[in-house]
Amino acid sequence: MPTITLRNAEKSYGGTAVKAVRDLNLEIGDGEFMCLLGPSGCGKTTTLRMISGLEHLSSGEISVGDRVVDCVGTGTFVTAEKRGMGLVFQSYALWPHMTIERNTDFGLRLRKVPKAERQERVEKVMKTLGIDKYRDRYPSQLSGGQQQRVALARMLAVNPEVLLLDEPLSNLDARLRLEMRAELKRIHEEFKTTIVFVTHDQWEAMTLATSIAVMSEGELQQVGSPNDIYDRPANRFVAEFVGSPPINIIEVEDRNASALAGLAQSYFARTYPQIDGIGSVGMRPEALGFARDVRALPKGAINGEAVVTGVLPTGGSWIIELLTQQTKLFLTTHLPPQVNDGEKGFFYAKPEALHVFDAQGKRHIGADIQLRGEADPSAEGAAIRALA
Amino acid sequence: MSAATVSQQENRAAGLRYKLRLAFRDPTTLIGILAALLFAYLIIVPIVSLLVDAGRVQFGDERRIGTEPGAWTFYYINRALFSPISNSLFWTPLFNTLSVAFGAILISLSIGGPLAWLISRTDMLGRRWFATALIVPFMLPTWTFALAWSTLFKNRSVGGQQGWLEAMGLTPPDWVAYGQFPITVILALNYIPFFILLFGNALRRFDSQLEDSARMLGANSSTVAFRIIGPMMLPSLMSAIILAFAKCIGEFGVPYVLGLPVNYDLLATGLYRSISSRQTGVGAVLAMAIMMIGIIALLVDARVVRESRKFVTVGQKGAMARRSSLGAWRLPATGFAIAIFLISVALPLLTLILSTVMRVPANFNISNFTLDYWIGTNLEFVALRNGILLSSQMWAAAWNTLWIVGTASLCSGLLGLLVGYVVVRTPIWPLSAFLRQVTFFPYMVPGIAFAAAYLSLFAVQRGPIPALYGTAAILMLALIADQMPYASRAGISAMMQLGKDPEEAAQVAGAGWFRRMLTVVIPIQKGALVTGVLLPFISGIKGLSLFVILAVPATDVLTTFSLRLIDYNYSQAANAVVLIIAAIAYFGTVLAQKLTKTNLADGLGS
Repeated sequence: MPTITLRNAEKSYGGTAVKAVRDLNLEIGDGEFMCLLGPSGCGKTTTLRMISGLEHLSSGEISVGDRVVDCVGTGTFVTAEKRGMGLVFQSYALWPHMTIERNTDFGLRLRKVPKAERQERVEKVMKTLGIDKYRDRYPSQLSGGQQQRVALARMLAVNPEVLLLDEPLSNLDARLRLEMRAELKRIHEEFKTTIVFVTHDQWEAMTLATSIAVMSEGELQQVGSPNDIYDRPANRFVAEFVGSPPINIIEVEDRNASALAGLAQSYFARTYPQIDGIGSVGMRPEALGFARDVRALPKGAINGEAVVTGVLPTGGSWIIELLTQQTKLFLTTHLPPQVNDGEKGFFYAKPEALHVFDAQGKRHIGADIQLRGEADPSAEGAAIRALA
Repeated sequence: MSAATVSQQENRAAGLRYKLRLAFRDPTTLIGILAALLFAYLIIVPIVSLLVDAGRVQFGDERRIGTEPGAWTFYYINRALFSPISNSLFWTPLFNTLSVAFGAILISLSIGGPLAWLISRTDMLGRRWFATALIVPFMLPTWTFALAWSTLFKNRSVGGQQGWLEAMGLTPPDWVAYGQFPITVILALNYIPFFILLFGNALRRFDSQLEDSARMLGANSSTVAFRIIGPMMLPSLMSAIILAFAKCIGEFGVPYVLGLPVNYDLLATGLYRSISSRQTGVGAVLAMAIMMIGIIALLVDARVVRESRKFVTVGQKGAMARRSSLGAWRLPATGFAIAIFLISVALPLLTLILSTVMRVPANFNISNFTLDYWIGTNLEFVALRNGILLSSQMWAAAWNTLWIVGTASLCSGLLGLLVGYVVVRTPIWPLSAFLRQVTFFPYMVPGIAFAAAYLSLFAVQRGPIPALYGTAAILMLALIADQMPYASRAGISAMMQLGKDPEEAAQVAGAGWFRRMLTVVIPIQKGALVTGVLLPFISGIKGLSLFVILAVPATDVLTTFSLRLIDYNYSQAANAVVLIIAAIAYFGTVLAQKLTKTNLADGLGS
């Protein structure tokens, strides 16, 4: 099965200078489950539609395997109906005038698959998705979750090599969404289809994808495995977009910006004098700790005095809101917290859990360097990104 | 040339090739271009030809003007606007037209506005019933009421059968029987439904929560009425007024029946007179004037509607329409609605029906009733020897109506959907904008001016197109063009509602363009297509102004047939034919609404 390659793909609408997608280079490997993740308006759906052929490029090239399907330079454009991909729309786009069965076998009829085989394949895919009992109903008679399954079945029936999904779960309620996620994962394993999945929901991306491409304002920010994205965000945008509650960011560029900035700066000046030009430092909520006593602080950790301003249970875990040097920090824990509102103590984060960004904030420059904290030099934790 | 510029040129060529390939990847663009050419020919060319007519010496006028036919001249404009006879040719009809239009709107607004409010926002008795009953006049040809009026009030100054009042010994004065007063009243009765539909719709959509919010902040009823409801309703009210005005300007049937006997001319009847007396040049000037007034009105309306768009987002979620309690006024209000129903629907229709079954007007003896005018044979004293249902002329006219209007409606329905498809789908936006505007343009041109334009273009052979005057083809083409605003609007909105997704889903599944049209787009749009054919059909059969100019005896339709019967002073038969037309129009409308589960009002505002 083919690899989908986008080279310098760009898209702008109606001759405007604003680019919905900018200089996108992306390779989607055979059998991959790739999530395009980003806030609304970041160009992820446009990218998906360009892959499908429903949208054309403004410049650049897209190829599937050896076959160039869209290239402005050579004037090549293969229309959507000739690309043989499957696309599940956010609105499902079921044909309201056809029964579920006719919706499902539409593609097979087009391909002139013999009747017996067609029936067999439709049967199989309808059974797999549990919609066989609705075969004679019309889309308007089904619930959202059932419609979503039909939309999926319709595309799976033709067994496309590439399956494109445009936020297909966003209209479902929480429980159904969880079910459908599992379903999608199973389908991916069973049919070995290459799947490109657009979502703005980070958990969806994390739980489903084999790799995630994070986009923002038309630009690709980072491609990597879900763990890569979370543990080694390429820049501040990725770090801040992924994770809930969001990562705690301390701006340290100007030590006078806040008291906490001064604290962080003196920490780095003292502990890692070799790092230069730090713009900001990020700490994931689950990497933060709270100690009542200064003696309980781990060695080498960045720390500061803090007051507990809120304890919010989220069912099975807790978010603790801390105020330190006029800056709010979020901390999450899975152990029942032994603190109360208004209690004073210290926040801390171990050095291996710190994310360091340069002054440009978004952009990531420089190589990984290992921070050698006194606490644990051989920490297996994440590498810390910073300016060399 | 340097290597860099060469490669730049190659790049540009490749880019162009790419764009062309995209534009023509399916037939949408090709169809769009063909449709644009067709409508340019059906809509723009006739109007240009009319404009040219007003400025060139017409055949037959060369001796009077003293130049060759076809030479440029200000003669007609001069004659219509500045000559000694300009008063009777142009200025008086213009003044009459405007005073009738304003008068009719004033009356219909002051009756229709309160009715709209009563029906949509109060607890008046029988609201639902009135909501349908009071808009019946909208479904009937306007001059139905003119005929009813003359059946009642016709006096001895015109020959033929007497009016009922005259027959009872009361001679109505001329100002009651003919001219400005009856024309104004009849048009007013006709436009009441317009206000009930358009204004009532806006009132219905008005969110009570907006009112409540003001009340919560301490506003009293009058503050709420003047500061909240008033400003928000103003645009739709204005819009209704302007649309009614634009319709009034082109009105032909009513002034023809009630104005001509006393030489009370409106622009439309003046135009008809000029054309029937072969003064095409002056006719063109009059048609231009009608067109100009129509265009100005519609431009003002477009502005008002644009203003009102600002309010559209207000009150979407949780919108509530609460009804005010009328209290002690409940019965009087209901009485008012009943009175309007009697005057604007029951009385005229009843009069017409009775007039077709009575030998002598206003004599209610049983012996005076007869079905002769419908099914009699060997009638001695009237223009047709057989009753109307047995008259071959009537059936010929009915057949003509059916196939001419039917074919035109079928074409405009299909073209409308096609235009909708291209407008919504084509990647070439100038094409989309052009099609959208050109198909809407006839809306601004009253039918009679449009008919004049067609006459001017197709009266003689031009290029490969033979002279079409006298054929059914000219009627069909004019009808198609005239109906395009409605058909294309219906098509565009249907395609907008459908959205791209279902078609794109079929495309991804592997369906090519024709397959997508046949299996997805057309089946889903079945309902829209039916409306797109049926509504133009209804407006076509009750339409008069196009036919009166373009039809000849061989292409007689029901409306012109009835008009001719009026000219023969055979009013019983004329009334009977109008009743037949009214019945077809009414039941057609009801059928269209049933089939598509839509409301007439929804199609009006656009």
